[in-house]
Amino acid sequence: MAEITLVEAINQALAYEMQADPNVIVLGEDVGKNGGVFRATVGLLDRFGPERVKDTPLAESMIAGLAIGMAVRGLKPVAEFQFMGFIYPALDQIINHAARFRNRTRGRMSCPAVFRTPYGAGIHAPEHHSESTEAIFAHIPGLRVVIPSSPQRAYGLLLAAIRDPDPVIFLEPSRLYRWAKQEVPDDGKALPLDVCFTLRQGNDVTLVTWGAMLKETLEASAKLTEQGVSVEVIDVATIKPLDIDTILASVEKTGRCIIIHEAARTCGVGAEIAAEIAEKALFSLKAPIQRVAGYDTIVPYARMEKFYIPSSQRIIDAVSAVMEFA
Amino acid sequence: MKIFHLPDLGEGLAEAEIREWYVKEGDVVRVDQPLVSLETAKAVVDVPSPYAGKILKLHGAVNQIIETGAPLVDFEGEGAPAKPKAAGSVVGALEESDKQWNEGDVVIGAAKTASKTAKILPAVRALAKQLHVDINQVIPTGPQGLVTAEDVKRHANQYQANDMEELHGVRRTMASIMTQSHQEVAAATIIDDADISELVNVDMTVRVLQAMVAAAKAEPALNAWFNGKLVARQLHQEVNIGLAVDTAEGLFVPVLKNVASHSDKSLRELINKFKTAVTERTISPSDMQGATIILSNFGTLAGKYATPVIVPPMVAILGCGRAREVAGVTGEKIIARRILPLSLTFDHRAVTGGEASRYLGAVIKELESG
Repeated sequence: MAEITLVEAINQALAYEMQADPNVIVLGEDVGKNGGVFRATVGLLDRFGPERVKDTPLAESMIAGLAIGMAVRGLKPVAEFQFMGFIYPALDQIINHAARFRNRTRGRMSCPAVFRTPYGAGIHAPEHHSESTEAIFAHIPGLRVVIPSSPQRAYGLLLAAIRDPDPVIFLEPSRLYRWAKQEVPDDGKALPLDVCFTLRQGNDVTLVTWGAMLKETLEASAKLTEQGVSVEVIDVATIKPLDIDTILASVEKTGRCIIIHEAARTCGVGAEIAAEIAEKALFSLKAPIQRVAGYDTIVPYARMEKFYIPSSQRIIDAVSAVMEFA
Repeated sequence: MKIFHLPDLGEGLAEAEIREWYVKEGDVVRVDQPLVSLETAKAVVDVPSPYAGKILKLHGAVNQIIETGAPLVDFEGEGAPAKPKAAGSVVGALEESDKQWNEGDVVIGAAKTASKTAKILPAVRALAKQLHVDINQVIPTGPQGLVTAEDVKRHANQYQANDMEELHGVRRTMASIMTQSHQEVAAATIIDDADISELVNVDMTVRVLQAMVAAAKAEPALNAWFNGKLVARQLHQEVNIGLAVDTAEGLFVPVLKNVASHSDKSLRELINKFKTAVTERTISPSDMQGATIILSNFGTLAGKYATPVIVPPMVAILGCGRAREVAGVTGEKIIARRILPLSLTFDHRAVTGGEASRYLGAVIKELESG
């Protein structure tokens, strides 16, 4: 089987579900003729035609509104925003309408829309192209926030997101789009939403992360393993609702937890996870919970961004600090 | 000659400014090797080589502006690009890695947990560390199985060295010898009684010592040393009996060497001399070495039977309980008899059950012979 990249896995999932379900519609800026800014939708226009692959004007609020209208009337729209920094004009539509339809209509209507966008730094891009603001969406009741971190999970989780009857914010780590390849069977099998994935099993410390930071976290994990530290690595995958049970089970075993995210530290999702652990597993902790996160600054331009993205060394340093507690 | 034209670097930008050349004319490059750093209105982008081969000409110097579609690099040879690359985007040419995504085994949800750590507040954890308490040994009494500060303190008082006195001297020696014995020796004990009704006005200790000499003759296997590592034994001709002497300081075992060579009187004198020397702590180490078997006369204090503990490398120890009157059956009559309860522990690695029984039988026979 051919190995494919994460962005090709996105394309493969879109094509599979468009073939399987005629109600699936792809829309967004340049998703048709151009194939998408990162080529995530390449080939879909030729295969499924302009009725189902729609190039939109450069107006994010309209893209979201269009998707919501389609969704509440029975279609399954998958809307692409070119970069996370451009999704903010659509927040009114997403927060005030997409997230609320089920509640507003007492369950008579739902909004089965997927809002896709590449996110995160590390691609030498200008301002607005490196955002990691998943916490904004995680805070909104009624939204599901899903972040894949490998081609297999991109494929399986996107299928699950499209099939889910409620709105999903689907954030794709652009830094990992073409970073490496993996075999992804095109079998239409979805992976479960709302559950973490345990990528490494260990007894000394739990590293909790998601999205592109899996790369640095696994690099750190490999080095720490060489140093004799037994590391457990959890990919949260669904940021909201949070599968805290998996994280708690791990922390109750290891007694140490480090949360790694690219997003700015203050009010990041790491703060929520730390609070949950403090409420429910405080007595199992051997050391203070640590966060390794982006700084509370705007993500810098290309030449400085490597100083912003948490490095594997910062993760190793945090682990060394908590390992000092017996 | 192949000409590489500047591709669209994204969003239909018309031009780009050369920031830095990574290669020079005459260089041989491979596919995807970065050629040049270009700055567009939106980003700084590295442009990779579409061909493998020798570079003939670079079009443009640093800070020069190149229009999209204009020649950028001339390569030697003919032909189409090695592989059509995806057109650029706002973030530059979409380079693709050949790296494998190696994740190992992925578990959906939580990994199966072997054991959980003890539940304890950080402050109490610090207290436990201070008191040298292993929190996994503490019995928790708090809510949801929480180890409380009280639990840690209680554990420290019960099991920890804070209020305990360290052993020295013979007590310490006893502790280490008994531990060694418990770990090594395959101990078995047999018990029986000697009828000593006929022994009136005799020195019982001396009589028992002499009985042990007689028994050693009958069954030499118990008057021996055993080496567990070599699995070897040494039978002794002389019977050197260690006599357990209880003192406030601890247990002393002076050795009565070659008991057979002594008269009753000289044995008693030696015993008395040793008892005084032990009490006064003047006994020499040489007087406490070389025993081939031990006699423990614990019955002078209390107790009928016991399971005395062997001191390696010896293979046996005889214990004498308190002599007492019992109702003995002789023929059809019940007559008051005086008996001496005996307990013999032997190392079953070196001594058979038959040898031990015969030895004990020989001791009894010798005592009962008057």
